[in-house]
Amino acid sequence: MAEGGEPVILEDYLLVEDVPLLEEMAEEDEELDLYNEMTFGLDRDSTEEDAAKPLMPPETSPELAKVVAEETEAGEELGSGAAEQLEELGEPQEEGGMELEVEQVISELEEEEEELGTEEQEEDQDPSEEPNDLGDPAVMRAVQSKPTLESQDSAVLDSRIGTCWAEFGKEDMLAMDPVVWGSCPGSIPPHHVLEDKAILQVLERPPPSTNMALDFLGSPMQRGYGGSPRLKHPGFRLMSPKSFPQRFLRQQSPLMPRSLCSPRPFTPARRPSPLFASNQTAGYAAPTPFRPISPHISPPQPLTMHFGPVSPSLDPALFFSPSASSQLNLSTPSHMTQLHPQHQRILTQRQQQGGQAQSISPKKLWSPKVDPYAGLMTSKEKDWVVKVEMIQLQSENMDDDYYYQTYYQRLERKQAEEELLGRRNKQEPPKLVTPFIQKVETYDSVVRIAGSLGQVAVSTCYSPRRAIDAVHHALVEEAAGSHRLRALHRIEKLFLQLLEVEEMQRKMSLAPEEQQPCCQEQKSQEVERIYQALKIRACSSEEEAEDEFLQLLCVQKGKKLTARLLPHLPREQAEKILLTITHHLPFLMKKDVLDESLPLLYSPLNEVVGGMTFSNLIKVLQEMTRPLPKSPELPLTMALKNQFGISLLYSLLSHGERLLSSDVPLEPCGGDFEMWTDMVFLVARELSQVPKASLVEPLFLPSNLLSLFCRYLDKQTIHHLEAKMECSPLLSEAAMLC
Amino acid sequence: MNYMPGTASLIQDIDKKHLVLLRDGRTLIGYLRSIDQFANLVLHQTVERIHVGKKYGDIPRGIFVVRGENVVLLGEIDLEKESDTPLQQVSIEEILEEQRVEQQAKQESEKLKVQALKERGLSVPRVDTLDEY
Repeated sequence: MAEGGEPVILEDYLLVEDVPLLEEMAEEDEELDLYNEMTFGLDRDSTEEDAAKPLMPPETSPELAKVVAEETEAGEELGSGAAEQLEELGEPQEEGGMELEVEQVISELEEEEEELGTEEQEEDQDPSEEPNDLGDPAVMRAVQSKPTLESQDSAVLDSRIGTCWAEFGKEDMLAMDPVVWGSCPGSIPPHHVLEDKAILQVLERPPPSTNMALDFLGSPMQRGYGGSPRLKHPGFRLMSPKSFPQRFLRQQSPLMPRSLCSPRPFTPARRPSPLFASNQTAGYAAPTPFRPISPHISPPQPLTMHFGPVSPSLDPALFFSPSASSQLNLSTPSHMTQLHPQHQRILTQRQQQGGQAQSISPKKLWSPKVDPYAGLMTSKEKDWVVKVEMIQLQSENMDDDYYYQTYYQRLERKQAEEELLGRRNKQEPPKLVTPFIQKVETYDSVVRIAGSLGQVAVSTCYSPRRAIDAVHHALVEEAAGSHRLRALHRIEKLFLQLLEVEEMQRKMSLAPEEQQPCCQEQKSQEVERIYQALKIRACSSEEEAEDEFLQLLCVQKGKKLTARLLPHLPREQAEKILLTITHHLPFLMKKDVLDESLPLLYSPLNEVVGGMTFSNLIKVLQEMTRPLPKSPELPLTMALKNQFGISLLYSLLSHGERLLSSDVPLEPCGGDFEMWTDMVFLVARELSQVPKASLVEPLFLPSNLLSLFCRYLDKQTIHHLEAKMECSPLLSEAAMLC
Repeated sequence: MNYMPGTASLIQDIDKKHLVLLRDGRTLIGYLRSIDQFANLVLHQTVERIHVGKKYGDIPRGIFVVRGENVVLLGEIDLEKESDTPLQQVSIEEILEEQRVEQQAKQESEKLKVQALKERGLSVPRVDTLDEY
């Protein structure tokens, strides 16, 4: 079809009485096509007959178009006889293929022509594919069309809006198929709609309220509008232009959501809900559904909306119903969840200020021409979405909606500061418990179906984010199992407890001052429980493999557990752990060869070391120097070859040096200093003896080690050690001073 | 003003022209007509825009319903500034051709890289076999 060619509509011939109007429509089709082409690409169908006007889906190849043209010619010849036949015909053929849509139109007669058509189709298939083959069936047509006004000026939505409106009169009411969601009012010339068997069937069907399939499509406007009998309501006004081609209407079965139809046949004024009349297009006003509704407003037609997933558990009062919300008692505080108090304050303030018109974006360039598709999403629907979003905000869990929480925390902090500075004279109004939504049911967080693996995701509109519970509720106790398995199980249990402790810690830091002591107590109790569960006890070298705590430490996660627990432990317990680790250091180092995860423990242990007294330090260091029964090497020597070991050693030495060089009285026990000196000498000796190759670089090299050695050793040794330890030039200066 | 301060909501964006970037890399431009709590979108008069270098081409697509989880980001298009772009619009065939050429070039360089790595005894898993994130 050449540009601007007229699509031929076969059905024009079916209802003979409508012929005069048909001709008008035919002229309009020309303009229609321009618009269609802009959106969907140029139609190549090139039937130019004035009489026969088959509807062509845009993807039809030119050859098929010719075929169809021939078919329609044939149809033409059959004349009015076809009309009755076609009307009597049964189901619309709901084939998915676009090419076959044409047959829908012609039905019986097609079968003959079909053969004719397919023959020709097959012949011409290959060449026709090339121009059409953009590799994407959804790419309708990619042909240069003349630039439309819309493409040149993005402010123009539809250059023909004004022209078509006047053309629609009352007859167009007939075209209105309220059953079809968002049926196209004006875009489809009414006769064509009526001539479409599909539409006819739908119109003759009983009112849509019984049709479940359409229920979810049935927006309130549908319900309010009722069935076909109400079509001729005089107040009805059509808005949209013929933006979508008839062809699209034909391509869909009446039951399918007419996603391609132009939406929203109604103007906002027709909405049965006057509550939001003022708020229709101008952005979105204050949350009017949340306050007690004035009695003059009539209840909206649908008390239940079936938007989105229909959950049987949804409280009908949830949906917008003024009568229901007026029953909500604002003054009673309750167990109901609530929004962040600051948010509630803002909301109530807004309510008090009344429904001010929201500022419309000044950039509404197309304001002279009203966007015909605007308002597809009704204010009811917007309310509903907002409601759900609000529900999502109401959560006991601090982690949900971090930004929302942080925003209000900061706001409160700012206000508190301002109050402190005396800028604000009065306190914020007391917290309002606005029962925004009543949670009618207790939400079963974890659903376990017998015999299934794992959990089933259960998320309702109350907690849309809650898919599954990451926390395992039914911990299975394992009686038997290998050591390792039991150790792993214990680690998991203890980790959960640790996570709770950390959560408590976090909450504590955010909570007001008064609550902190009792939270602290709670936390200490929990920590104590975990510590006891670790079962740290003295054990000899033979029992090392059996010791439960050491088993935990052999697993990387167990080390992580200990590392994360250490900061929360009281001093003595932390030092006990340090002592145990140092005591069993060779064992742990041996077990860690594969994992190399001991360094995880370095950081927290370093902290612990940093707070030790001199005597305790000596005790720990002594562990490193006690001779091992099975090996000639000292733990010390072994430690030098292990990254964690050497780091720990350096950390201990460094702390000792710090203590000694500071002015703090050390209160040493008897023999401590001798021990210390012996230690230093021993370390120095081992360091010098260990070949450089096997000396491992520590995680952190304290700067005061050299000065420590300086005090006890001679220059030569120091230089030797320095080279070994690969000190930086700065430190070597310290050596020079010795 | 947003009456849910501290949160993001698409309610204010209804009936405005948006650019939507999808997880599969497609860029859609259309009028946002409807949303829901999952940020599923209904786009009207949608156009898929393909960018190659400094050129772009638009493929008209009609109405899109996009599942919310597939959206990377979206933003309102300022109609005043929309035409103020250094990019050059070309026809669909041209841009698809350019895209094809670009894809080919990428594939070839990828092939060379894999080959070079293989020679060195390294293997990098193919991107399409990896998880999306």
